[in-house]
Amino acid sequence: MFFELSRDTGYVTRIVPFVMTLIFALVSVVPLNLPGFSVVSPAFAMMAVFHWTVYRPDLLPPSAVFASGLFLDLLNGTPYVGLSALIFLLARTAVMGQRQFFVNRTFPVLWLGFLAFAAGSFALLWILVCLLHGGLVGLRPFVFQAVLTVACYPVGSYILALAHRALLART
Amino acid sequence: MKAAAQRLTLPFLIFVSALLIVFGKTDTFLYDGVRAALTDRVAPVLQVMRQPMVAVTSAFQGVSDIVAAHRENAELREENARLMQWQEVARRLAAENAELRDLVKLVPENAVHSIAARVIADSGGAFARNVLIDVGQKDGVQRGQAAMTGEGLVGRVAEVGDRTARVLLMTDLNSHIPVELEETHERAILDGDNSEEPRLIYLPPKTEVKVGARIVTGGAGGVFPPGLPVGVVSSIAGDVIRVEPYAELARLELLRIVDFGLSGVLPQSAVPAPRAARGRSGAAAR
Repeated sequence: MFFELSRDTGYVTRIVPFVMTLIFALVSVVPLNLPGFSVVSPAFAMMAVFHWTVYRPDLLPPSAVFASGLFLDLLNGTPYVGLSALIFLLARTAVMGQRQFFVNRTFPVLWLGFLAFAAGSFALLWILVCLLHGGLVGLRPFVFQAVLTVACYPVGSYILALAHRALLART
Repeated sequence: MKAAAQRLTLPFLIFVSALLIVFGKTDTFLYDGVRAALTDRVAPVLQVMRQPMVAVTSAFQGVSDIVAAHRENAELREENARLMQWQEVARRLAAENAELRDLVKLVPENAVHSIAARVIADSGGAFARNVLIDVGQKDGVQRGQAAMTGEGLVGRVAEVGDRTARVLLMTDLNSHIPVELEETHERAILDGDNSEEPRLIYLPPKTEVKVGARIVTGGAGGVFPPGLPVGVVSSIAGDVIRVEPYAELARLELLRIVDFGLSGVLPQSAVPAPRAARGRSGAAAR
């Protein structure tokens, strides 16, 4: 019902990308107590930032990217508040230059693009954490989280595409 | 004019992010208030989002339980027999202990009271190891208290909101816990380094450590009461001594926040210290 209504109210639909990114940030901190599952979980918010930057950058402007990065940082309880915000902003800038390449391509191409996006983001994250911590920090969790994030991208992408189609069809 | 402003937004926000990081680096406690307020607000949302996860988890658990039941049963029976013997020993020792205490008129230890907490979020990030729990100031949780599972120490409360609190796990980069070897009482620091097994550092020179040595909290620094089980030495490679925690840190669901009446000695909950001292004590506490 709510979705039916919101379809016609432009204002509500326009905040969908931002709200989805926040929800994805929340999902990434929900504990997955699956047996054998590792301590890291996929970086869902990163998927949302990538998706909206490729398809509707106008609806996820730098200010929204910044706000969702900050939200994630505060939620995560990391000592470096602003780090995700910084990385999301830089990553968005990188994708903006290439987005024409991704629009209207098949999913594997998009996935490959996300692979590059995630690899770059995590590499930068690792470098910044090392700098801030003042010493080398174990690389394995970063690699692991990057792999996990890329592996889970189809799921995240599917959900984002659903929301995209359902709510933004008329804007 | 508007176009120019739009073009400047991005560099400006990048600059602000960098500034926020630098500010946070210089004052570790700068964002604690904001963070606690935010987590208090989103806690109900997280509680709801947890539900489907709980269902999935228990389904998985159910299947693996059935698969493992037969083997586990045999193991448990064996363990039970062994524990019965230990129980006997413990009873005898407890009686003897009581007699000896009576003999030397030992003042009884502070009554320990603990708060049960449920994990509602874990950072799940590549470089932060902490969990959010559903109890806070209103339930009596204070910064500095020890968080444990039935198996052993998990970490300590690093940040407290009204209804939520954050527990810094012992594997976090910023976790430094005073510990000691259970047998010899040699003191050391358990230093989280983003791996699953924290390192044992600052052991006195020429200390002999063997794989399998039990590690318990040390009383140094007044952070934790001495003697809480922490883990066992799992590997020794040159200078690098690693400790495998007793608690299964990757799968935390229920925690016990233990109040030993010691948290008052931690700088943050005490009288506000002058700024310079705050920085220093902060580094020690984080």
